[in-house]
Amino acid sequence: MASVRDYESDIDHLLARLERRAAFADILAQCGRGEMVRVDRQATRASSSPEMQGAAVRVWAGTKWVEAATSDLTLAGLEVVADALERALESDAVRSDPPGEAATTAGNSLTDPPHPAAELGFEGMIRLAKDVRDWSTEIPSIRDSIATIGWHDEERLYVNTAGARCYQSISRVRGSVAAVAVESGKVEFDFRSEGGVGGIEWLDFLSEENVRAVAESARSLLTAPTPPTGPVNVLLDPGVTGIFAHESFGHGTEADQFVRDRSYLKPILGQPVGPEFLTIVDNGAYPGGWGSIYYDDEGHSGQRTVLVDRGRFVGALHDRETAAVLRATATGNTRRSDFTGRPFVRMTNTYVEPGDWSLDELVKEAKDGVLLEHASSGIEDPLGGQMQLKVQRGRLIERGELTQAVTSMALSGRVLDFLRGIRGIGKSEAFSVHPGFCGKGHSDILPAGTGGSYLLSSAVVGPA
Amino acid sequence: MTPDASSGPLAAQVAERLRADAPWEVFAERLRRYEVHFNGPVVEVVRGPLLVEGFGIRLFRPHGEQIGTGFRATTDLGDAALARAIASAESIATRSFFPAKSIALPATAGPISSDPPIVDAALWANPMRRVEEYVAALLDPFEGLPNVVPSFGSVRATLAETSIANSAGLRAHYRHTTADLEVAVKAFGGPEGAPPGEYWVNDRVRRLDPAAAGRPVADWTRWAQDARRAHPPTTGELPVILPAGVLAGILPTVIGFRCSGQARLRGIAPEPGTSVAAPTVTLWDDATLPWAPNTAPFDDEGTASGRRALIEGGVARSLLYDLLHGSALGSASTGNGLRGRGFTGRDWMRFTGEPTVGTSTLVLSPGAGGTDAELAEAAGEGILVRQLGWASPDPMSGAFGGEIRIGYKIQHGTIGEPIRGGTVGGVAISAPGAPSLLARVAAIGSTSELADDFYGPSMLVRPLSVAGA
Repeated sequence: MASVRDYESDIDHLLARLERRAAFADILAQCGRGEMVRVDRQATRASSSPEMQGAAVRVWAGTKWVEAATSDLTLAGLEVVADALERALESDAVRSDPPGEAATTAGNSLTDPPHPAAELGFEGMIRLAKDVRDWSTEIPSIRDSIATIGWHDEERLYVNTAGARCYQSISRVRGSVAAVAVESGKVEFDFRSEGGVGGIEWLDFLSEENVRAVAESARSLLTAPTPPTGPVNVLLDPGVTGIFAHESFGHGTEADQFVRDRSYLKPILGQPVGPEFLTIVDNGAYPGGWGSIYYDDEGHSGQRTVLVDRGRFVGALHDRETAAVLRATATGNTRRSDFTGRPFVRMTNTYVEPGDWSLDELVKEAKDGVLLEHASSGIEDPLGGQMQLKVQRGRLIERGELTQAVTSMALSGRVLDFLRGIRGIGKSEAFSVHPGFCGKGHSDILPAGTGGSYLLSSAVVGPA
Repeated sequence: MTPDASSGPLAAQVAERLRADAPWEVFAERLRRYEVHFNGPVVEVVRGPLLVEGFGIRLFRPHGEQIGTGFRATTDLGDAALARAIASAESIATRSFFPAKSIALPATAGPISSDPPIVDAALWANPMRRVEEYVAALLDPFEGLPNVVPSFGSVRATLAETSIANSAGLRAHYRHTTADLEVAVKAFGGPEGAPPGEYWVNDRVRRLDPAAAGRPVADWTRWAQDARRAHPPTTGELPVILPAGVLAGILPTVIGFRCSGQARLRGIAPEPGTSVAAPTVTLWDDATLPWAPNTAPFDDEGTASGRRALIEGGVARSLLYDLLHGSALGSASTGNGLRGRGFTGRDWMRFTGEPTVGTSTLVLSPGAGGTDAELAEAAGEGILVRQLGWASPDPMSGAFGGEIRIGYKIQHGTIGEPIRGGTVGGVAISAPGAPSLLARVAAIGSTSELADDFYGPSMLVRPLSVAGA
């Protein structure tokens, strides 16, 4: 398929045209391609990612941004967008610079793994996925197993009238297995999913041992009791800790919500929020992270931003506009979901840094409670500061020991209470960053990494 | 060559250039989108037009007892891209296998039993002005309200020309409009110490009527204000009232899967004739409901749309099928092959995805329970959940559950103090005889409401698990 670079001269032509009419303009052009296979007991399905290409064009109209976009990257298609923007500018008499400092970064970065996932081809991906399905369905009571393997390469070219020109090509690889157990009409399932920026090394976790463990876990849920209901000590596994860092805490640090006065964290910037051994960061430069980017969609480099430093809430995530309003610096977190989505302040890879507790020590510290495993979702509440995490399974903690499995549950509580209640964080051996997809509100879905180690606190849980 | 918008539906134009010796289908869209994003009265960004044209090709290759399907979508309308798309679909069709012996593509999209309204003519004629008028009308009631603002909002309107063509001779198209509305209504101020409260509105509609835009603002404001003084509910197995807005986050996802060919193929669909719900529960799939977001003259495979009972009087009746699952299981498609499902962010660009089986609009027949106040009277003690963070429904197991963002205690048969925090959850549908939300329906309200892809009244469930203080 075509590369965004094939259209670069036409994009420059468009930018030059807009520069004559507006104080500032920028363009984000995008192309993508990828492949995926999905194998279950009934079907083998191979598919290509949609061959999506297009450009988002933005100009400052004196008091607000005005944007247009097109999937037609030819000069004729781009001119249609320019015509629309020029018409919009006619009604705004003010010619002024937008808030904040424009990026002037020039760069050219691409993922270059030793073994790109594309090397596998459909045949290689299907072969591995069939192995995964077979290992899983050999376990008694496993009625079905869904194995998915996919990769996606995306190019983005960002240019603006201040001189920024950033080209990046990012390869993301992801695999998952879900085992469905059925007995006497009861249906349960469990899953495991991993992925990141890079190549086929991200699929190493799809081993026979790991896949069988997922299937055994699904099977065990058929006879597992429901979880406890009410306030309990909760020990989060690394994946659940990551969802907490992102959904419960991270969304409140997106500074566009500060500007809207829609963050429960805004009034407490600079204050302690947790124990001294708690550090939370967002890191767009995390090596191999699912949410890693070389540049954001305003031309700033992806970077590490400390949000909570040894228990103190010290930083927020900024685009150029929020940085100007709040006297901060842009942090490389401006992201568009694609060329049709508006730029928002977004997270990249958000995680709780590891501590120095072993899992055994954390279980003993909890004494009684529940271990929440295999995060399946979470949702933010940036103004209210409430938290909702859902997990596929758990294990009871009784008298300082991990005991029987329990079925899926949701966790609820106030984020600040949860942070203050943290009693221990697991060691780096258990630390991992997981792949996920994040929306801003209910739209604009994009890849985001979430991570951490084990984490002990207390909250309300109930069946879900 | 690139197709010209003035020379007819895009799918037919692509079909004219398509050469393939296997059954094929082209699903195409010409999309224009217009958005206004606001923070209170401040417009943050005006977006539009966002112009997207694209198509998805699906090829079908028989392989003995199975059929190979190859799908490729692209926004590149040039000849070279079309050739790539066909080659890619061909290549994939030799590797993808589905347990259907053959595919019977529809030759016509009829007979279409009705022509329900799905185009907002005023929006189509002047989209940006209509969106701006709607936003102004939506914000107007907030003016003068003390300490209440819409802090994070957007209206995103899509104008679509959807077309489909296939190798059986089908050439069909229709126009439709949709709009996504998101508003976070914030209540603040007053006595020191009370944190702000928020009610977060998310809705998808077919039309933008400025005259009606401000009507719900009073309710949204009250719920945001009540969130400020709310406390978690008590823990226990409690009677729970779930309004349409909450049921919309649970039932279409779970029922759309469990009462479908997908679930039957896995052996987890309810057997027709078995009891899976309380006798008062009747659930329909209806693709003809006026102004519903998924209403259309035909589904995304070209099969005429209609209505179908899934559960009638608590008894499982029929299942939903698309072409492939229908063929695999010896049934005709029920017109439920739908695209744009899933957590992709491309739900308004349906051409980018293959069809899957799902509900159009899930309709719950009204009961004799009356209003929410009358349902509360019947409940005695319990809670009414106005909004969950996310019900996070799992179609496979039927489990659902989420945090209560705003709800109310029911005490002595009366809706009382607000609640917030804690969770409510359970299993939406289960095996006959096992406890589930549908099996425990104690009463169904009498007044239906359209909430995204669900149309129905509130229901009283006795009991559900509530985790709170």
